[in-house]
Amino acid sequence: MTQITGVTPLPGSSIPVSTPATTTSGMLRAPLYVAWQVTNECNLACMHCIEESGPGKAFKDELSKEQVFDVLRQIAENDVPYLSFSGGEPMLHPYFFEMVEYACSHGTQVKVETNAHYLSPEACARLKAAGVKAVQVSLDGANPESFGRMRVRGNFHQVIEGLHNLHEAGVPIEINHSPTGFNAHEIANMVDLSAEVGADSFYTGRTMYTGNAVKTWAKLNATDEQYEQFFATLREKTEQYRGRMRIHFHEMGLLEELQYRLHHPAALLIVLPNGLVKLINALPFVCGDLRRQSLTEIWAHFQQAWQDPRVAAFVHALEQDPGKTAMLHQWISV
Amino acid sequence: MQLGKYVKFREEKFGGVLFETQSEKVYTLNPTAAAIIRELGSGCDATELTQRLADRFQAPMDTIERDVAALIADLRQKGLVEDARS
Ligand code: SF4
Repeated sequence: MTQITGVTPLPGSSIPVSTPATTTSGMLRAPLYVAWQVTNECNLACMHCIEESGPGKAFKDELSKEQVFDVLRQIAENDVPYLSFSGGEPMLHPYFFEMVEYACSHGTQVKVETNAHYLSPEACARLKAAGVKAVQVSLDGANPESFGRMRVRGNFHQVIEGLHNLHEAGVPIEINHSPTGFNAHEIANMVDLSAEVGADSFYTGRTMYTGNAVKTWAKLNATDEQYEQFFATLREKTEQYRGRMRIHFHEMGLLEELQYRLHHPAALLIVLPNGLVKLINALPFVCGDLRRQSLTEIWAHFQQAWQDPRVAAFVHALEQDPGKTAMLHQWISV
Repeated sequence: MQLGKYVKFREEKFGGVLFETQSEKVYTLNPTAAAIIRELGSGCDATELTQRLADRFQAPMDTIERDVAALIADLRQKGLVEDARS
């Protein structure tokens, strides 16, 4: 028998976590993670929304029920271990629960990323019964004032109630937090609040200059000093909550992350509501279309698509002009 | 013994991968380590596992025992395996 060399973390696997499944993805027969934006419709219209979602913002050509379940079938057949449903607000999708139940019952670990406005006790019980791995809730303020400033049309108390319902139902909770100039100083309270509502994990990192944030940056942007203090507090909180709640934060900015990804594409496919597949959420490049191609075909092309010179050129151009992220939704096929 | 609740195993040409979906970390496995994980999937304990691998690889038990123990210690330390849930 050959010596067991055992378990080796793939290069870069300590790079966290907003774009997970970091790996030398070219080695793999299928993606490890599919992040599926199931609809662009949302009940909120947040200042920093990368998808520029909102009421009435569903795409005209979102996947039909038949197409949705065909994609789910392929995810299961390809043994993709991890799937997240986001949006827009995924719970507004007409087949949301059926999709969750299908994926969970086929052995995929499912995370739901929601704004928590539809987490009734019944909804939480159904998510628990389906066996979701976690529900990730966006919470961008430790009080109604700062929350409401960021999450336009949002209701802080409703979110806290939704979190309570999740906890009562026994669904693992993850909190996702976006820092800004007006809430960064509340980070200690944010972490404490997350622990109080029973969160298992807390995720944060620099708010990205993309989507709606390009238009609202003057109001959103946290200074370097604010970020320094923000991350220092998080380091302290990580120690304080060790063994009780995991705190994940990434200090890398968007540009650094994209430069890293050029050489280390994550084993992650981003699926848009209309079935187009993006290389990475923060770039406009599309490497496939699930209405016309199989998941296997798209994965086979994924590495090559990352090598398209336009991708590197775009990232390099961002170094000079960060405003190019405003073109995020003007898709370019590679 | 079995894989952790949030750990998924997938076989690959080079062996396999373990994906720990809590920390969202991915680990590669060489073919031998992948064979061990496959056996673990059947819920057997370390002794049974060693016996099966000794049969399969036609190797001395003590070598296998050492290798399996080292791998399992590593997996445990990384939180990738746990004792079987009842
Ligand atoms: S809740 Fe999420 S998807 Fe909806 S507008 Fe806000 S950030 Fe965008």
